[in-house]
Amino acid sequence: MAINDKTLNKEQTQKRILLATALSFAFFIAYDFLYLQPQQKAVELANKQNAQVVQQTTTTNATPAIIQNGAPAQNTTAQNSAPVTNNTGTQEVVSKITTNKNIIQIDNLGRISQVTLEGAQYIDANSKHINLFTATQLRPLEVRFADTNINNEAFKVNVTSSNNIVDATKEKQVVTLTQKLTNTTLTKILTFYPDGHYDVDVSSTNNAQFFITPGFRPDVLADMYADHGALLALNDGTLNIIEDEDMDRSVELIGINVASAFDRYYATVLYNYDVSMAISVMKDANDSPNMFIHAKDGIKLHGYAGPKEFKTLTALDERLSSVIEYGWFTFIAKPMFTMLQYIHDYVGNWGWTIVITTILIKLVLFPLSHKGMVSMNRLKDLAPKVKALQEKYGDDKQKASMHMMELYKKEGANPMGGCLPILLQIPVFFAIYRVLLNAIELKGSEWIFWINDLAEMDPYFVLPILMGITMFLQQKITPNTMTDPMQQKMFQLLPVVFTFFFLWFPAGLTLYWFINNLFTIGQQYYVNVIFENARVERHNKHLEEKKHNKK
Amino acid sequence: MTHKSGNKYTVKNLILLLIKFYQKYLTILSFGSCRYHPTCSSYAKMQFEHNNIFKAFYFSIIRILKCNPLFDGGFDYVKVKCPTEDQINLKFTKIKVKYWKVPVDNNYCLILQHNTTWDK
Repeated sequence: MAINDKTLNKEQTQKRILLATALSFAFFIAYDFLYLQPQQKAVELANKQNAQVVQQTTTTNATPAIIQNGAPAQNTTAQNSAPVTNNTGTQEVVSKITTNKNIIQIDNLGRISQVTLEGAQYIDANSKHINLFTATQLRPLEVRFADTNINNEAFKVNVTSSNNIVDATKEKQVVTLTQKLTNTTLTKILTFYPDGHYDVDVSSTNNAQFFITPGFRPDVLADMYADHGALLALNDGTLNIIEDEDMDRSVELIGINVASAFDRYYATVLYNYDVSMAISVMKDANDSPNMFIHAKDGIKLHGYAGPKEFKTLTALDERLSSVIEYGWFTFIAKPMFTMLQYIHDYVGNWGWTIVITTILIKLVLFPLSHKGMVSMNRLKDLAPKVKALQEKYGDDKQKASMHMMELYKKEGANPMGGCLPILLQIPVFFAIYRVLLNAIELKGSEWIFWINDLAEMDPYFVLPILMGITMFLQQKITPNTMTDPMQQKMFQLLPVVFTFFFLWFPAGLTLYWFINNLFTIGQQYYVNVIFENARVERHNKHLEEKKHNKK
Repeated sequence: MTHKSGNKYTVKNLILLLIKFYQKYLTILSFGSCRYHPTCSSYAKMQFEHNNIFKAFYFSIIRILKCNPLFDGGFDYVKVKCPTEDQINLKFTKIKVKYWKVPVDNNYCLILQHNTTWDK
């Protein structure tokens, strides 16, 4: 009796632990959904308002960057996150370049002040074309001189542009920006291509040392679900990723081919695969990275500011695909994306692409899963013996498991599916998750009926609920060895917990899991039917023999 | 046999902690799927407790890779070199038995978990 009480207590505590875990997960999801996201929006709004105020009032605060140890220093006097960019007060657009992909504006200090994306899919909530940059942040192609005096002057003197309105939709166009200062003249020769990227050849006279930046990351979609910050591709093939609000000190890096500042879907990139760059990554007021490329007195680079689309980037340079990063699971997420894109080229719809990919993965794993299901079905025949064993050794799991293994050996059937098939699911799942989160290609892509964005959650929770139902059915028709009622209850609770998790997951991911379940059920049902038929046949034969013997 | 009590914060201990966490909270996701005795997680735990870290990784990964319907499964215990006589530090005091090392062939021992029912 005492033992029974003890086990009962243990069951209850375990139940409580499970419940507590589920509840805390629920809390975090709700917290994120109801509190963090609105808060983030409020901060964004406040930033925007701040920016406007700053632009009106900071004309008196003319403190440009101070250079220490040969690296461009942060503007220390700015109380807000606004760096030197606002010192000149009003901004003037000196050049406006139209390409097939975007409209690029150059301001009176020779920086790219804005890039507006032209494609139909790049529209924000107010159906306006997406602007990549915010007014308060460091802008691409801003130059800072190593000499403080020159630097101070450079933020007061306007540049002259060779062309004001440029049409680069048909062929490449060159714009020359000149900034005449007392001791040096800075010349930026920019070549804009119809595909939206550009080349920059910048040089100074009198050996005036300077730095040039790819700018602060685009600020279109930077949330906690995917990384955002700076990515540097080194010439040894490695990547150095510096996340926003995560820098404790500024760093100097050499041997860099690509400097990219990115949010979830967009990036501003300066790259050169022929000559490696040295870069100072400065920490700004929010501990976010600002990159400055050491230009000496002249440097030639290629540049791009726009969506991180695989095809667009690889068209510029095959190696630029490294700019798209999927975090830890890149090694499996990248091949996954390649496969998805390959299928998409034939199908033309991302939803169906996911369905087909799921089926393909199931087919590849079919020999493994089929064998597993067949041997699992023999469990039904063994069930009484297994139950007897578990009752006999119920207290001692080790011993029960040992005797069970002995039984399987004797019967020549091991009904378990194995740990590997279960573990294999995890990386596949995470790879799809990361691809769905990070691939701009899936942004705004629809499937059928109510699903009009596979990268967002299902607005009516239909897919998660279908996922839960199929998971429940799958459990129902799959034989298992569970006899412990506590374990059985926990097991039955799983579909509910999973449904809850999936409520806010991207619809594409839920779609994958749902289709996966659906096919598992089909496969299991098929195996079950075959076994049931075989059993009935055996039974009939047995009856017939009996009849025969009676006669 | 006592364990060397070294630094508490080692990779080995971190892994043992992860296995413990898995066994406590996550086994429900993969319940009743292991084709071996002891289960993959117990096997890995014993490997990391009794072998050096590289061997432990190697054998644990091999075990998980083999735990699928294409292999027979069954009994598969952790096998280590038996302790030599000078390694055995016999103290005739009451100890709590956790594992038994059972000699099999030329100086190798299988590690068996102590069975709680034997105490009764």
